[in-house]
Amino acid sequence: MNMNTLQSKSALLKASAVSLVTAILALVILILPAEYNIDPTGIGAELGLTVFNQAPQVEKTESPAGKHAIEVTVPVGRGIEYKLHMEQYQTVKYQWSTDGDAVYVDLHGEPQGDTSGYFESYTIASVREMNGQFTAPFTGSHGWYWRNRSDKDIKITLSIEGDFVVEGLKN
Amino acid sequence: MKRNVHWWLLVMVAVALLFPQLSIAHGVDDSTKQFLQNNQGVQFIPFMYIGAKHMVTGYDHLLFLVGVLFFLYRPRDVILYVSMFTLGHSLTLLVGVYGDIQVNAYLIDAIIGLSVIYKGFDNLGGFQRLLGYQPNPKAAVLVFGLFHGFGLATKLQEFQLPEEGLLSNLIGFNLGVELGQLLALMFILLAINFWRRFDSFQRFTVATNTALMSAGFMLVGLHLTGYFLG
Repeated sequence: MNMNTLQSKSALLKASAVSLVTAILALVILILPAEYNIDPTGIGAELGLTVFNQAPQVEKTESPAGKHAIEVTVPVGRGIEYKLHMEQYQTVKYQWSTDGDAVYVDLHGEPQGDTSGYFESYTIASVREMNGQFTAPFTGSHGWYWRNRSDKDIKITLSIEGDFVVEGLKN
Repeated sequence: MKRNVHWWLLVMVAVALLFPQLSIAHGVDDSTKQFLQNNQGVQFIPFMYIGAKHMVTGYDHLLFLVGVLFFLYRPRDVILYVSMFTLGHSLTLLVGVYGDIQVNAYLIDAIIGLSVIYKGFDNLGGFQRLLGYQPNPKAAVLVFGLFHGFGLATKLQEFQLPEEGLLSNLIGFNLGVELGQLLALMFILLAINFWRRFDSFQRFTVATNTALMSAGFMLVGLHLTGYFLG
């Protein structure tokens, strides 16, 4: 099949070595800095390739009267989570309603930096709408988990007001 | 003749500019991600589209195909080898997702990188030169096809796909993969067969396959690093 083979073993080894060395250089200088922020030579940072991995700074600018409104659809049998970043003792006023059936809701918070999976629930219910406000007992990620146990998709309209930074939909 | 080459280059650049998505990372983009997470029931055509898109933008699969097709010019051989590859990856894609077989995505992607190195080395005549015999190329394509299929499976398994309509969605995805492969193959064959008419094809055989191997090494390094970082 391969009619055009290399003539000698040394040429083969040379080609293999060239391919390996090129790959290692590209990995160390460009790819690893860009993909994983591993930058042994420092060239990646010089070239600005490490920008992809700088942790997104959660904006700390607190608008005193932050307002936000969203619409989300919870598919049949599925759950979605919508979260806000809040500092300890910050307060949010909220109001949400569905376009039809009642939905299971768990309003809860997870402390920042926690990896144990701990969370604290503030409200658990199955309702069509809810108004209220809550004050974050700790700094972290706070928000709503909705689960659709009906047989139709449910659209939820949520509006919030207070001190928070939107984190958005979670898995 | 020289003029033709310039035209061809122009066409390639135009294609690259028109489809910026082809040049970005090989994964699942945000809108696809959202679709997969919220998906429910049978969504044949969308899954087919994702499959096709994954293949067309999947440079690891495409590099392997370039290696496989590099020395094939008879339609019979092209069809035979591509069928072996298709058979291999369809089998593990379907069995992997449907049977919920969990394989580490990084390791699989590293093995896919290895398949690119293997084919580049093979095209250089490496096995004949080094081992004194030629491992069966059809069997190699089939076996590496199996690994490519697991790679496709892991991309879907990142999402907990609902049981409902899973088989139909999977078949849709698989069909899309084949359509995407067909599309990519047309471009690869067109380019290689066009290039084959020039002396430069012979002259650059070693360089091209060395570059192929190098790309394979990069893929292996990238994914093994990912594996060890967890």
